[in-house]
Amino acid sequence: MTAFQGKAANHRRLRATLFALGMACMLSVPVRAEQAGSFWIRSAHTVLINAVYHLDARIDFHLSSAALEALHNGVPLTIDIHMQVVRNRDWLWSQVVADLHQRYRLQYHALSERYLVKNLNTGVVSSHQALQDALESMGIIHNFPMLDEHLLTPGYRYVGRLQASLDIEALPTPMRVWAYVTPQWHLSTDWYTWPLKG
Amino acid sequence: MAAQRVRRTRWGLLAMVALFVLLLVSLSFMSDATHNSERFGQLYSWLLLVNALGLVVLTALIGANLYWLVSQYRTRAAGARLTGRLVVMFVVLAVLPVSVVYYFSLQFLHRGIDSWFDVRIEKALGDSLELSRAAFDVRLRERLTLTERLADQISETPPAVAPLNLYDLRVRSGASELTLLGGNGRIIASSSVDPADIVPNRPAEEVMLQARRGQPYVGLDPVGDSGLYVRAVVPVSPETPVGEPRLLQALYRVPDRLNKLADSVQSAFARYKELAYLRKPLKYSYTLTLSLVLLLSLLSAVWAAFYSARRLVAPIRELAEGTRAVAEGDYDKQLPVSSEDELGFLVRSFNSMTRRIARARDQARRSQQQVEGQRAYLETVLGSLSSGVMSLSRDLKLRTVNGAASHILGVDLRDSLGEGLAGLKQHHPFLDAFLDSAALHAHAGDREWHEEIALFGARGRQVLLCRGTALPGEGVRPGGMVLVFDDVTALIQAQRDAAWGEVARRLAHEIKNPLTPIQLSAERLRHKYLANSTLKDAEVLDRATHTIVQQVEAMKEMVNAFTEYARAPQIQRRPVELNALILEVLELYRDHVPGLHIESELDGHNPRVEADAGRLRQLLHNLFKNAQEATAGQPDARVQVATRCVDELHSGYVELSVQDNGPGFPDGLLDQLFEPYVTTKARGTGLGLAIVKKIVEEHGGVIEARNLRPTGARIRIRLRTIEPQQRLPVPAGGRDAGSSA
Repeated sequence: MTAFQGKAANHRRLRATLFALGMACMLSVPVRAEQAGSFWIRSAHTVLINAVYHLDARIDFHLSSAALEALHNGVPLTIDIHMQVVRNRDWLWSQVVADLHQRYRLQYHALSERYLVKNLNTGVVSSHQALQDALESMGIIHNFPMLDEHLLTPGYRYVGRLQASLDIEALPTPMRVWAYVTPQWHLSTDWYTWPLKG
Repeated sequence: MAAQRVRRTRWGLLAMVALFVLLLVSLSFMSDATHNSERFGQLYSWLLLVNALGLVVLTALIGANLYWLVSQYRTRAAGARLTGRLVVMFVVLAVLPVSVVYYFSLQFLHRGIDSWFDVRIEKALGDSLELSRAAFDVRLRERLTLTERLADQISETPPAVAPLNLYDLRVRSGASELTLLGGNGRIIASSSVDPADIVPNRPAEEVMLQARRGQPYVGLDPVGDSGLYVRAVVPVSPETPVGEPRLLQALYRVPDRLNKLADSVQSAFARYKELAYLRKPLKYSYTLTLSLVLLLSLLSAVWAAFYSARRLVAPIRELAEGTRAVAEGDYDKQLPVSSEDELGFLVRSFNSMTRRIARARDQARRSQQQVEGQRAYLETVLGSLSSGVMSLSRDLKLRTVNGAASHILGVDLRDSLGEGLAGLKQHHPFLDAFLDSAALHAHAGDREWHEEIALFGARGRQVLLCRGTALPGEGVRPGGMVLVFDDVTALIQAQRDAAWGEVARRLAHEIKNPLTPIQLSAERLRHKYLANSTLKDAEVLDRATHTIVQQVEAMKEMVNAFTEYARAPQIQRRPVELNALILEVLELYRDHVPGLHIESELDGHNPRVEADAGRLRQLLHNLFKNAQEATAGQPDARVQVATRCVDELHSGYVELSVQDNGPGFPDGLLDQLFEPYVTTKARGTGLGLAIVKKIVEEHGGVIEARNLRPTGARIRIRLRTIEPQQRLPVPAGGRDAGSSA
């Protein structure tokens, strides 16, 4: 499951990069000077509880005006929180030991004027009156079990890393080309890395 | 090789068709994905990438084709222009209609998408949403009031019985779920209509915060997949003033009918809103897809144009190259037949033509080899002949000549092959008589002839026995002439010498021998009977015997002279200065012949000849004597002696002429002037000029005699000189004239 997810994630990244390159060559889209969103990982660390590494993290989500406009026009936004445990090696590239995705779908419910956040992994839906509350509900990760300690080989150095991004591929098809070439849609954090410890 | 090329072309075509189909399918999927289809939605980006790469590949292929065409143009390769024209034609034919279709499709597309949206529908949907909200607002307020009442009731209930009370309250109020929460959000008690719900649906943090601040909350809340619920959260008064603040949450299920209607309104509104929002991206996506289709069509059409043009022009190009190869002499060129159409027929015809040409060439080569073999054979045969052989073409140009001919004539005629008679005469003047004779017989149309021809050339006098035969021609036109000739100079001389020698021997034997007894007998008769005879008889006897003796002497002289003529003495050739010899002999005549005026005009170059001085002296004596006798008795007798050096191309000779102003030779005798016993004089042996001719021929010279106008005769002799280029300088008294009185 972990390895498969890792491959799938790499696959998606490669596809996104290639596609962005291709589209950037083919289209030239003017960029509007509006509110630029940003995703930022405030903190992340793991706690070893009962031989299982649990993740605690705080992520700030600020949507760009383009994303907000899409959201308020009924377009669901999918946010992908990508978690990995990586073994650093001196002479080779890092080995991904665990690779997990936590995906949320944020949607605006016009009738009730509420923001619905659905955890795509669990199917749990929560509704929020304010957008900020909905974003905060996605940004708090508490005691999320990441990896069994027994899966790690003693003596090696492992790090945990975290990245949150808006999944452009989950947008409606007509929007994807536009989103790939518009910086306002490129909402992603850098990899946030921390040493794995109990 | 041709089969390999055809196979390669076929594979190339198949690959291109496969690429085209792949791109077409990919575009079709992409078009499907643009409709937000679930099937291809996930693949959209990949499809786009595949199409972009396919187009790049197509562009690269077209670029390669274009480069090939340009390089073909630059090298002016066969068929390049035609290929270019065809490509341009195909491209124009493909681009124009596709572009027109693209333009109108784009127009229709944009208008079609715009037509989906209507302000009135949008407003109606918005209004329906507002209406729904208004309808729910009443219900929400009712439910809030109900919940507040429930909170009042529960505030009076001790915590221990709260769950029981909650159940009663839930059943009475018709709520789906009632939950009593502590101030910190802890669930104190809960009651749900669904016994499977162990964990109650908690309100959001911000809702609890609001309720804790004493502000009740009520709102529509979509809960999972169960549809809409009315959620009301109100604070519950504590039992005691210092008691823990509590919250009561009530979830009221919206009736199914309302739920369905609300869901319908919500989803229709959301869908329309989303569509309206996606209008521009949708246009972009469709335009992109359509543009990709256009590009694919255009690039495929351009590539197909290149492919078709190259395929169409390939046989023509090969034909052009084949023709060029044939023009350069490569008749083994065979072109691959790649089609069964008219071009294939043309290629097959070309192949058949080159095969025939090659066969004809081989045949011609074989024939030429045979001809050359025969020619070499003939040349070998001719070369081994001792007779000279020449052949003249119909227009009397020298065609062949063998080595013997050159050897006999003393000139290398192989350099003159192809020359006409005029050219030959110009280069070899001494061949005049020979060539004139050939021309004469050729013009006369003689089929066969033979003639004895005398030449005076580098080797002196030559007598050729020439036989001519007309060559078979085409139809009635003569085909030239072949001349076979032999140098019979020595043979004739030998025959003549032998004949005259025999005559001389017989004369000596048959005539000279009896003369002595006759003379002795006559002298004896005279001696014996003269003294005893009468005067009259004695006179007769004396006259008779005197006559006999005199005539016998004369006969003896005559026989001696003839013997001298017929004798073939060994000639002692030495270089002789001709002028000096002439002057020496002339001296004898100048002073001793009365009334004869002798003039000499000798060439200042002092010609020297290789000759026997004694024989030449005899020759001069005979000539001068002849001239003297011819002018005897004339008051103004004059003899002119002259020498003149003549240079010809291959040799030099001296021309000696002796001219007198006598009566000249009788016309009838001119042809046989140099034959023995031909004389006009009463007292002559008739051998003077015959001896002169004999001496001249012994020295390889020629002699001619002619009468002069108005009177006189001239004998001209030509003798070869030695060292023509190293003649002695002209002496001061080169010209000499004198007279004897």
